This record gives sequence, C-alpha cells and structure tokens, in this order.
Amino acid sequence: MGSGDTATVINKISSDSGNEIIEEYGPNLRVLPTNNQVKELQTILRDKNTTRSDFKFYADRLIRLVIEESLNQLPFSKCSVTTPTGAKYKGLKYQKGNCGVSIVRSGEAMEQGLRDCCRSIRIGKILVESDVDTHEAKVVYAKFPDDIAERKVLLMYPIMSTGNTVIKAIAVLKEHNVLEENIILSNLFCTPFAAKTLVTAFPKMKILSSEIHHVAPNHFGQKYFGCSYHGVTGPPNAPMKNV
Amino acid sequence: MAAKIQQFDPPSSASSDSDNGGEQCLEDREVFISDELAEDIERYQRSNGTPTPQSPRPPSTGSQKSPRSRRQRTTSMTQSSKKTSAESILRSKTRTIYTAGRPPWYNSAGQQVEPFVIGICGGSASGKTTVAAKIIESLDVPWVTLLSMDSFYKVLNEKQHAMAAENEYNFDHPDAFDFELLAATLQRLKEGRKVEVPIYNFVTHCRENRTKTMYGANVIIFEGILTFYNADVLKMCDMKVFVDTDADVRLARRLRRDISQRGRDLEGVLKQYCTMVKPSFYYYIAPSMVHADIIVPRGGDNEVAIELIVQHVHTQLQLRGFKLREKLAHSYIGQPLPTSLYLLPDTPQIKGLHTFIRNKSTLRDEFIFYSKRLIRLVIEYALSLLPFKEITVETPQGVLYQGKRGATDKICGVSILRAGETMEQAVCDVCKDIRIGKILIQTNLHTGEPELYYLRLPKDIKDYKVILMDATVATGAAAMMAIRVLLDHDVAEDNILLVSLLMAESGVHSIAYAFPQVKIVTSALDPEINEKFYVLPGIGNFGDRYFGTEPSGED
Repeated sequence: MGSGDTATVINKISSDSGNEIIEEYGPNLRVLPTNNQVKELQTILRDKNTTRSDFKFYADRLIRLVIEESLNQLPFSKCSVTTPTGAKYKGLKYQKGNCGVSIVRSGEAMEQGLRDCCRSIRIGKILVESDVDTHEAKVVYAKFPDDIAERKVLLMYPIMSTGNTVIKAIAVLKEHNVLEENIILSNLFCTPFAAKTLVTAFPKMKILSSEIHHVAPNHFGQKYFGCSYHGVTGPPNAPMKNV
Repeated sequence: MAAKIQQFDPPSSASSDSDNGGEQCLEDREVFISDELAEDIERYQRSNGTPTPQSPRPPSTGSQKSPRSRRQRTTSMTQSSKKTSAESILRSKTRTIYTAGRPPWYNSAGQQVEPFVIGICGGSASGKTTVAAKIIESLDVPWVTLLSMDSFYKVLNEKQHAMAAENEYNFDHPDAFDFELLAATLQRLKEGRKVEVPIYNFVTHCRENRTKTMYGANVIIFEGILTFYNADVLKMCDMKVFVDTDADVRLARRLRRDISQRGRDLEGVLKQYCTMVKPSFYYYIAPSMVHADIIVPRGGDNEVAIELIVQHVHTQLQLRGFKLREKLAHSYIGQPLPTSLYLLPDTPQIKGLHTFIRNKSTLRDEFIFYSKRLIRLVIEYALSLLPFKEITVETPQGVLYQGKRGATDKICGVSILRAGETMEQAVCDVCKDIRIGKILIQTNLHTGEPELYYLRLPKDIKDYKVILMDATVATGAAAMMAIRVLLDHDVAEDNILLVSLLMAESGVHSIAYAFPQVKIVTSALDPEINEKFYVLPGIGNFGDRYFGTEPSGED
C-alpha cells in the first residue's frame, strides 16, 4: 500500500496518544498509540534475559506495527469502489512514489517489515560509521533510487539515543535533493534528547516512534543480528555504540 | 425414499476423511458423521418408510449375536420428512454419510433453551422405538436426540457373563442398569452440553472403548423399559409416555423375533420370558404406569395418540422460543453500539486496506495480500485486549524497566470454517506455538439457519483465552453458534474474543446482547445486511474470494 497513486490530501493524523507529546516535541513527532500489547513487546525487547530467538520474533512484531503506523503518514486520495455486492464503498488510495531508506545496520532489521507491507517498494541504504577517535559520525556508503528527490522517503532506524547518526543520514538525503517534508522517520525507541534534537533540526520531518524513554536499548542491533561488533575500522573489543 | 436424496455438496472437512490423520495437538473432536449413523440411515432407507432401524431388543444372551453389534440405537437423527432430509443425506460410492449439521439449540438471545425431554416407557417388545420414530417423523423440528436405555447396561463380571450365556442373567431387572450414569448423562443433555454416551457391546457385555458423542437438542427422546423407575430420571422428563401393548402381543413379537431372527430355541426364549421378562414387567414396569402423562395403547399404530403428543411438543417448543436468523437480522435498529465492541482506530491505512479488499475488481493475489495485512492488524489489536500484568525487568543497560507481560500463556485460536481459517496464519505469526481449533458451521440453504457440522478443539479449552475468528459477521448467527459451542465446552464467556475483519451492526448487537462479556473486535462496521445476509457495502463472500471458489459466471 505504500505505493498508491495521486495525492490530493495530506494525511492529518488525529493524535490520540496525548497532547503532552505535541506540546513537548511539536505536531510532527508521533508515538505509536500505546496499549498493553505494545508495552509487552517493548518489555520483552528490553529484558536482558530474553533469548535471541524471542528477541528477533518480538522485534519483528513491533517493527511491523511501527511500519504500519508510519504508512499512515503517507498521502492518500479519496476514492470510491464497487464491492461484490454491488454497493459503493467510499475508501481511499495511497499515492505512488514512495521509497524506504534504511540506515545500516540496525535499520535493516526494519526492511522486512516494510517489505511485508509494500511488496515491491524500492529500498535505499545509508551506512554511517562513527570515527573511533573523534566519535564523529560520518557517512561511508549511500545508495538510493535515482529519482529519490521526487519520492516520499520512509527512513528506518530503530534506536536513537543522541540522534547523530540520523542527522548525518538526513543530511545525505538532503544532498540528494529530498525535501525535508517528504521524510518520515520510523523508529522503535527514542530518547527525549534525540527527539528534541531531531524536531529542532528538522522541523518539517515527520517522526514516528514506539516509545520515548531516557534509556535507549542500545543492544538492539547486536542482539537482533547476533554479531557483537560491526565495522572494519573499530577495535575488535570496543563496546558497541549507537551514535 | 431415494427420491428424497439429493446431491448435497458437503463441506470438504465434514466428509468421510475425518477419522484419520491430522491429529497433532488437538484431541477433542467431534464429527457429526459416524459409521453407525450412516448404517442406521442405510437401513432406514432399505426399510422404506419405517424410519427406525429394526433394532433388536436387549437380548438375554449374546451368544448368537455377531460381534459387530447392530443395536446402536442411541443416535441423533433428523426428522426424515419433507424439507430437511433432502440435504441431510449424502451418498458416496461406498457409503452413505449423514451430513446434517446441528441447528441452533439456543434462542436469539443466545441463551440455552432447555430441550424438551420425552420419556417413553413400556414393556419389552411393546413398540417404544416405533412410537419414538413416529414422533420424530411428525415433529417438524430439525434435530432430535434419541437416547436409549440400552446404552446404560452395567458391565458384567465373569460370573454374570456365564449366567447370561445360560439365559439366566436378568436383563430386565433394574439392577442391570447403571442409573447413576444415566441420570448424569440425561442431565447434561438437558443442559445442552456435550455428553459421551457409552456403547454397550452385547457380546462381551462390556462398554466399548469408544463412546458416542451426543448433544442436547431441541427435543430429546429417552426410551427404555425402566424409564420411569429412577426418580431423578423421571423428574427430568417433561412428558412421560407409556406404551401399553397387550402382553400376548408382546410375547408373540418376542418369540418371532428371537426365534426367526436370532435363531434361538423356543425353550430358551420361554424360560427367559417366564422367569425374568414377565415378572420384571409386573414388578417394575407396569406399576410405573402411574407416572405416565399419556398412555398409548397398541403402540406405534395409534396415530391419534402420536398426533396429540406431537401437538403438545410443538406448543411447548414455541413457548420456549426456537427461532433465529431472520429474527437476529431485524432487531436492535438504532441502538447505541455496545460497550463490548472494540473497533480498530480508523486510520488511513486500515481504510486503504479496506478499499483494496472491498473492490470487486481487485485480483485475488492482491486481495490475499491486503487481507493478510489487515488481519495482522486486527489480531495484534485483539491481543492487546487480553489481560496483562505489571512486571519489572532488568535491561542490558543496567537500569530497571517497568513493563508489562501477558497474564496468561493459555491462549488458543478457534477459527470458524471456512473464512475464519484465513486468519489462522496471522495468529500463528504473533503467538508462538498457539493451538488452533476449528468449527465448521454452514448455512442451511433451505432454512437459512446456521448448522454445526464439525468441531475440533484443544482438550482443556475451558482453561484458555479463546480468540474466535471469522472473517465477516453479518447476522452473527454463525458466530453465536460458535460462542455457544465454546460455552458448552465450559469456556468462560469473558475468556472469549470474537475477532473479525468486517461486521454488520445488527450482528454486533445480536452477539453483544446475547453474550455481553464476549469482546468483539473488528476493523470495520457496516450498517446493513441484504436479503442474502451479506453485509453492505461489504466484501462479498470473503471465503470464496480468498480461496478462489467464486461460482463461475460471476465477477
């Protein structure tokens, strides 16, 4: 569904997840409507005793929910269809011309969730690594669909503690002429600091997260993929760090 | 009789393959077809017009009987008349299969309607079975359960077994029957619950390992020689009929049957008659006549008496209110939506998914894909309605996290075939190793009523939270039947979640009114139902579109 067709209406989501978020972070940051079920998923992902197999299983479930909710932010148009009973149904259609972009590596965990919702969507990738000495994030690889400037971009990154990585990634997207208002950031866990930083830096971007909490579960990528350290430049035993 | 048989395309899962394979984790199953039943019907068809199998009386000796006892008179059968029998019998190449489902046994408020119990008593060979059959024949109710006292003979020990072989065991004495089990069984049937009726083997004088599953029906007929003997059993009978046939006639029938049909000798039969059958009749059976409401002289030939009985039963059933689909569809217009309804938040995604699956020109490939996405969302939402408890977990970051965990692991899915099955995958995708039960309910094309055909549920389903799945709910008749089945299997009402993609308002009202504690979850609510009980604007026949079985010539 991510790829519908012509857009006439920009979706205004009715916020049922409380006005506090809007007051704090503005209207463009949305938190997945929380319920016991979502809370359970988050609890399992944060529990250090969760096995890897469970971790991946429940992470995929939460990702699916976040992706579905992110797709709600895409533009759609009204339309009317005829049902098999001969009656008319007033529905809506999504606009064509969307794509996904995942930030390597943990963002890739969300690709399958997007694929499960939009079968043939184009997916670009950005690899951001932090410099060992300066801890500064820098982009080492990026590959996008050619016409990304004309597309809505669903940027996927599950854990944000400082927001630095995402800021770098968005900078790359902007270099490719993607409009800030065409970016939707899909995220699982976000710290208040990162949220504040991002809405300040990119006020026109839409952000969707499942939880804003001062501790970010930084073990996500490691546990999901089951490899402790990633990258070729870092020391072998350096603690994993999500920038 | 053959003229009444028409080809009825049975739901595949209800056909004869039901006895093998595919067991896995699901132990508790019932199929509304059985060999015995099929056999009964065959015999019934042969006998052409005498609906009941000519079952032999309780034999005093088993020695001449073939091991495959044919006397399983405890069966549930439909009335074999005009309209319902037509689609209730299916003939395949090698066997006759009885496919009639179980029609509603509750009223439109979903409440159990107490079945009407007719007790029929009478001496041996008095024609009780004939009377029972004629009542079933004349009663215009779709489902009658016939329970025979013969099923409750006690298991014999070795000594008694030897006596039986010598014509010396008294099968006509009250001590020969297990009244305790009998009363308990009848009580459960009267409550509309499932019972396992023993199958008594007259050769070994033991109960066979298998039992016959029976349900309470609109009408239960209980017949036997000592029907009125036990006070508890007597109390459960709403109508007591005594079949009073002259002793000479009974002896003559008995002689003819035992000698010409069972190859027994005159001496043995007379000895048994004089020493046991006759004394028992005068000691125990004849005196119980005082309990009878109606005494039918001459047995099955007495049409006037049978007519009177049938009229009375009709009046009683009407008072109790058996009715259903039509009534469901037209009540509750303009009422506020019930609080037990949980409608998914109306997001553009959900609306967009609905647009795809409701559009009649959507290809099946896309229909399935978008249905699955919608189903997943509905199931995730449904799970959030289950009970949760607060827990604190330790995180790898070294801080504690206040979270939640589901309060129970005992969750199972039950799908209403066929459309409900489309939702099974999603449940399995979100709940690891979940058990899935199945219920097949089909609409009877003649009466428009739902009928229960097939049931397979996890064994301890009463301890589970049950996610009951059906893709669409129109009048709610099938869903109500499924809920009723779950309740009859002792599932608590507030442990049931009815989950569906699309519901009609009237169906929601009916279900919520009948079962206020059942949580109803759906992704869309449509206002109307058409005369074919399809929801409007609706999806069409979801099962047909998903499985690709639309009738040809239609879009």
